Amino acid sequence: MKVTVKQWHAVAYWRWDTGAPGDQDANADEDAEEDVCGICRVSFEGCCPTCKMPGDDCPLIWGQCTHVFHMHCLLKWLNTASSKQQCPMDRRPWITAERKVDR
Amino acid sequence: MATILTKRLNKELREMQTHGLPTGITIVRADDLSEWLLSVEVLGNTLYEGEKFCLRFEFPHNYPIDSPAVTFVADDKWTAPVHPHVYSNGHICASILGPEWSPVLSVVSVCLTLQSMLASCTSKQRPPDNDKYVSHAPRNPKNTRFHYDDDTV
Repeated sequence: MKVTVKQWHAVAYWRWDTGAPGDQDANADEDAEEDVCGICRVSFEGCCPTCKMPGDDCPLIWGQCTHVFHMHCLLKWLNTASSKQQCPMDRRPWITAERKVDR
Repeated sequence: MATILTKRLNKELREMQTHGLPTGITIVRADDLSEWLLSVEVLGNTLYEGEKFCLRFEFPHNYPIDSPAVTFVADDKWTAPVHPHVYSNGHICASILGPEWSPVLSVVSVCLTLQSMLASCTSKQRPPDNDKYVSHAPRNPKNTRFHYDDDTV
């Protein structure tokens, strides 16, 4: 069956809480362009290039160095010998940060 | 696995076309996703004033996880800059193209790094082992184990 969407009406949207200053800001969309994974350059709210659907199946990962990536992108990097287990941004040893869910 | 390469390179290309390129850098050819050519000029008062070079980027299938193979084009049209880290066959000894590669680097950031490597050069000369290296060099510089022993040039 072929379905044609004639109109749609958004009632809510989600975004990852990356801890960036603009996160609580209603106008954060202005800066949305900056919020991309440094490895694949796709936005955090999109998914990594190997996934089809954004959301919990393609989560983000935070390092203690505060840098954020799509988890799948970062794991691809850490799985290479050349990564030397370092953060791609600052080359410090990658240590995944514990995130407390407080909201 | 090819998707990360395709998506990332298309994105880089789109950004170059919409936001423009840094001064001195232009696209010579980027019409497929296996090999790009970009020209690099070093502006201002440097040893390479008035010279123009061409960089060839060859992308492995899982770029940017793996580094691109980057060389200066050395053929009948282009020559490689005379620089202590650049062999006459165009191979470049730069740590970011080898063990210091990071997937957050990009085509533009590599061009900028090499542009500033040329800009800070104080003495135009080939690497001391140029002739020996060039006669035995593999086609792909990523198969060379360079020694990164001199950060000051």
